[in-house]
Amino acid sequence: MPRFTLPALLAAALIAAPLLSTHSFVHHLLIMVLFSTLLGLSWNLLGGFAGQVSFGHSAFLGLGAYSTLLLYLKLGLSPWFGLLAGGAVAMAVAVPIGLICFRLRGPYFSLATLAVAEIIRLVALNWDDLTAGPQGLIITHLPATSILGQTVNWESKLPFYYLIAVLALLGMGLTHLVARSRLGAYLLAVREDLESAEAVGIDTVRTRVLALALSALLVGLAGGFYGLYFRYIDPDAVFSVALSVEMVFIAVVGGIATTAGPIVGAIVLVGISETFRTQFQSGHLIFYGLFMMLVIRYLPDGIWGRVRLALKQARER
Amino acid sequence: MALLEVTDLGKNFGGLRAVSGLSFSLEADEILGLIGPNGAGKTTAFNLMAGFIPPSSGEVRLAGRNITGLKPHAIVKLGVARTFQVVKPFRKLSVLENVTLAAFLHCRRRDEAMAEARRILALLDLTDKAEGAASDLTLAQQKRLEIARCLATRPKILFLDEPMGGLNATEVEAACDLVLRLRRDGIAVILVEHHMQAIMRISDRVLVLHHGVPIADGRPEAVVRNPEVIRAYLGEGKT
Repeated sequence: MPRFTLPALLAAALIAAPLLSTHSFVHHLLIMVLFSTLLGLSWNLLGGFAGQVSFGHSAFLGLGAYSTLLLYLKLGLSPWFGLLAGGAVAMAVAVPIGLICFRLRGPYFSLATLAVAEIIRLVALNWDDLTAGPQGLIITHLPATSILGQTVNWESKLPFYYLIAVLALLGMGLTHLVARSRLGAYLLAVREDLESAEAVGIDTVRTRVLALALSALLVGLAGGFYGLYFRYIDPDAVFSVALSVEMVFIAVVGGIATTAGPIVGAIVLVGISETFRTQFQSGHLIFYGLFMMLVIRYLPDGIWGRVRLALKQARER
Repeated sequence: MALLEVTDLGKNFGGLRAVSGLSFSLEADEILGLIGPNGAGKTTAFNLMAGFIPPSSGEVRLAGRNITGLKPHAIVKLGVARTFQVVKPFRKLSVLENVTLAAFLHCRRRDEAMAEARRILALLDLTDKAEGAASDLTLAQQKRLEIARCLATRPKILFLDEPMGGLNATEVEAACDLVLRLRRDGIAVILVEHHMQAIMRISDRVLVLHHGVPIADGRPEAVVRNPEVIRAYLGEGKT
């Protein structure tokens, strides 16, 4: 199969998907799947490839969301640039955090991420002048924008769909590049054994910080998107532990250290959430946990990881 | 100038002096055997010289350059590679990937790194295992894999921590030949080893540590006749 067939098919599917239905709820579901995919891709770079399990990734999502909205509300910066700035801010904050937290190993690193996310949430909650505290930030309308001479209708869900589709493709492209590069190889080495990685000349702190920075960039962009799409953010929504755990779920259920796994994980997540949310309010969280336990027990490579293994075995036979 | 020069190297763990007053030098084409009873501080000495533990005192110079306190990865880049007493391959990765990873230190491109890795695997008789997982290798093969990984970093000096531990007689023989071949290829070797026959056969010089302190340094035949060394191994009153 030629190299570009799969990405081309994927892009075509993404372009065509929302045109199959005019129902705005269907569009919303597609958007949530792609948004979740981006979250999973981000977590996967750090947790899947480099094996550094973060329970505080919502910190970077929140930073992206707050940056995007604050730059628009306070400085009038176009959300398009604000979105990119959100990713950049998340990345910039991630680097010093990484330099400090990567002195810790394994579970201690994971606990530190949890603590960092909590600290950032509390800052956002109490810094009233900047963040409006628990009230959160609201944007009533988005500035008129036109692409190729067409005015973008922000009241429709389609522009958001295509925006998140581009971001998700960007995330997959980045993951694909990393997986094939020297950095990708180094991340796996760090995951397998830190001392051995050092022994073959890998700067394990730098490698992990780089993985965290790229991961924060993706989730920061996702945060910016979140702010623009929902038009309302508050600290408990964007800095929540539940959101961080969802990211773990998407990456683990889909298949860690894979490029396509997060799509599968995202579909499952959104599926469970939509099936159970209506009957159980927040009961869907129980089903996330149950499902994740089943996957870890019976499909430790995740759903896509299992499929990929089966494909490989079939090809060798 | 000696390739490696260690001066008064010491490490205290709390009140325990694991290594103290360790001084020696290593020439570019030398094989140095580092021996001593269990707990003598041999592995700690490796960890100090390779940067895995910061020393409490003393200095390590590589070709005249002070490398004391550098991080392990930085020391590897300067040409000092080490193996581990308890092998630590990247277990879930293939044998080829294990070595390719190390080859990335000097080859930026994946195909170059892989070619280099294949060349080294052939040298160490691991070619037919290349695609298999590292965890599927026998102990002797895993020890060779660690050496292969070291070679991919293009070392000037190799620290081998018990390369013959747990191997059978044939495998020990092969390991000895390998060390001698490495030296012929221009790599200096320091090996910690309990297999005395092997040490006697391949070492140019033997350094004996006891309770963290060097007690003898010289030609193998001379060192094993040294009364202090015999006392250290057999205990007081047995000589």
